Amino acid sequence: MSNGLQSGIRTRTYKSGSIIYFEGDKSEYIYILKSGRVFLTYTKVDTGEEVKEEVRQGEFFGVKSALGRYPREETAQTVGETIVVILTLADFERMILRNVNIVRKMLRVFSNQLRRIGKAVRTVLGESENVNPDIELFKIGEHYFKAGDFSKANYVFKKYLEYYPETDYGKIAMERIKTINSGGPVKSKAAADDFEDFSMEHDSSDVFSFDEVPSGSKKLPDKGDINPAASSALSSEMDDFLADESDSIDDFGDFGLEEESKPKDTIKIKFEDGESAFKKGNFKGALEIFNEIIDSGLPSSDRDRHYFIDAHFYAGVCYYEMKKYKESMNLLAEIIKNWSDSEKYKSAVFYAAQIFEAAGQKDKAITYYNRVLNIQPTDSLNGAALNKIKALQKGGK
Amino acid sequence: MLELDEKFFSRFGAEYSPNEIIFCEYEPGYEFYFIQKGRVRIVKIINDMEKTIDVLGPGDVFGEMAILEEQPRSATAIAMDSVRVLKFHRDNFDALLQGNPQLAYKLLLIFSKRIYDAKRRLMILLLEEPNVKVMDVLIMLAEQNQQFDFESEITLNTTVRQVASWAGMAESEAQKELTHLARLDKIELYEDRIVVKNIRDFQRIVASRRKNLYSS
Repeated sequence: MSNGLQSGIRTRTYKSGSIIYFEGDKSEYIYILKSGRVFLTYTKVDTGEEVKEEVRQGEFFGVKSALGRYPREETAQTVGETIVVILTLADFERMILRNVNIVRKMLRVFSNQLRRIGKAVRTVLGESENVNPDIELFKIGEHYFKAGDFSKANYVFKKYLEYYPETDYGKIAMERIKTINSGGPVKSKAAADDFEDFSMEHDSSDVFSFDEVPSGSKKLPDKGDINPAASSALSSEMDDFLADESDSIDDFGDFGLEEESKPKDTIKIKFEDGESAFKKGNFKGALEIFNEIIDSGLPSSDRDRHYFIDAHFYAGVCYYEMKKYKESMNLLAEIIKNWSDSEKYKSAVFYAAQIFEAAGQKDKAITYYNRVLNIQPTDSLNGAALNKIKALQKGGK
Repeated sequence: MLELDEKFFSRFGAEYSPNEIIFCEYEPGYEFYFIQKGRVRIVKIINDMEKTIDVLGPGDVFGEMAILEEQPRSATAIAMDSVRVLKFHRDNFDALLQGNPQLAYKLLLIFSKRIYDAKRRLMILLLEEPNVKVMDVLIMLAEQNQQFDFESEITLNTTVRQVASWAGMAESEAQKELTHLARLDKIELYEDRIVVKNIRDFQRIVASRRKNLYSS
């Protein structure tokens, strides 16, 4: 296309059988068929079937890929001598600024295409087409309510009542709004997830086999001992509620009672002391403080729970730094076994792997580094673990 | 970015505070929005988890499907910070287009891009093996950057989570596949980026799988 590009709009004449553009080409030209015939050939995304479409005279083609700046998705070929108008993006913009009707028409076509593709995507993802918007809207409200995101829940329930006042869950939506406006259930999201994921599926005996004797670490309170009301309240509440709505509404009265007694900052202060000693490299001093926290048992307040768990972690790292691997492993094992939802979980697994490595238990080290790779989210530990695995594997052969 | 005067804003402007819902998935929708200021998160609740589909900023449009269709919202829009938008009802659309043809052009650009992205996504989803899907996501992300030289190493600013969402798979599954590729030294996996050693290699694999898909 070297023929003179003026500021004006130009046309070009093609012989029969010419290719105006190929699928995969990148170009910023948009065409209008003036006379003759143009066929567009493309492969259907979902079936791989080849489709041929004829452009009508006066119609645009090549618009989407030029505007979206992506490769042509079809091949344009002429049949018979054909004249096309060639527009640059700037030409096109000028033209449509003068004629908004073209835009409206194109938008309608585009919107249809988008909807068709969207539908295909949903089908592939297995999302059902026949959903009831009212129920789905309600469920979203429930999601935010359950997650403790009450301002969002409030918005959704209000919209639900506004659009679907006569539907099944209207009464519950109203109750939810009331609950939210009266300060909301005190429990936060943590309660629902806390101990649900408690899992022994990993061969946790691995952890202990480092120490021939079954670990003598102090027993932590059993799952059931920890404020059972709190752990079950929200999650089971939600499950029940769909089955039997009237019950659940009554049960909501209970939420107000879960006020924490008195915030105890002592654990926080103590923890920070330990942390600062730890950061200074004073592992012995830090260890004393963290052990104190551990000995005082699991805090009753959910808010403080992570100090208790983190104390295990830091104490474990202190022992690791002091090369007391057995003690370190015992503490890390507590986290690995009991608190897979802890922020320290991934690091704990990584340290466990390092301990196995230090102890010359290569296979187990690899197993644990591998485990690190599968814990989300991806972070700097992934790269470190992968490098360790590669090094260990190389070293062995 | 649209330059519109204050008078215009007083008529069509709306403001949202951080974390406020602008509209919710499944709510009927008659308006579409232009972001003037701030960021908007587009999310969907999938399997009881809130998944971020997109983050939009000034100059972006959302809710545009409401212009031409009577369908409930397909996602939820949430203000991330103090957000200022222009909000147009579909009934005003024609008048709006007449008065603001540059907006019409902008809409065409947006739709073109959305169609391509949706189609490209569909192509990924239609692949069968998860490892090939993940490769194709990486290819797609590479294609989005015009500057990339496909003959050399490419750094994609993406996360496992984003790859999972494009591939329509669980994060853990995507992580497994990506880790596998990292183990084979095909990629390097970091917190905030993925380095692809040889994207052409992935393109060949995906192309051949896609061909088989159709022929079978």
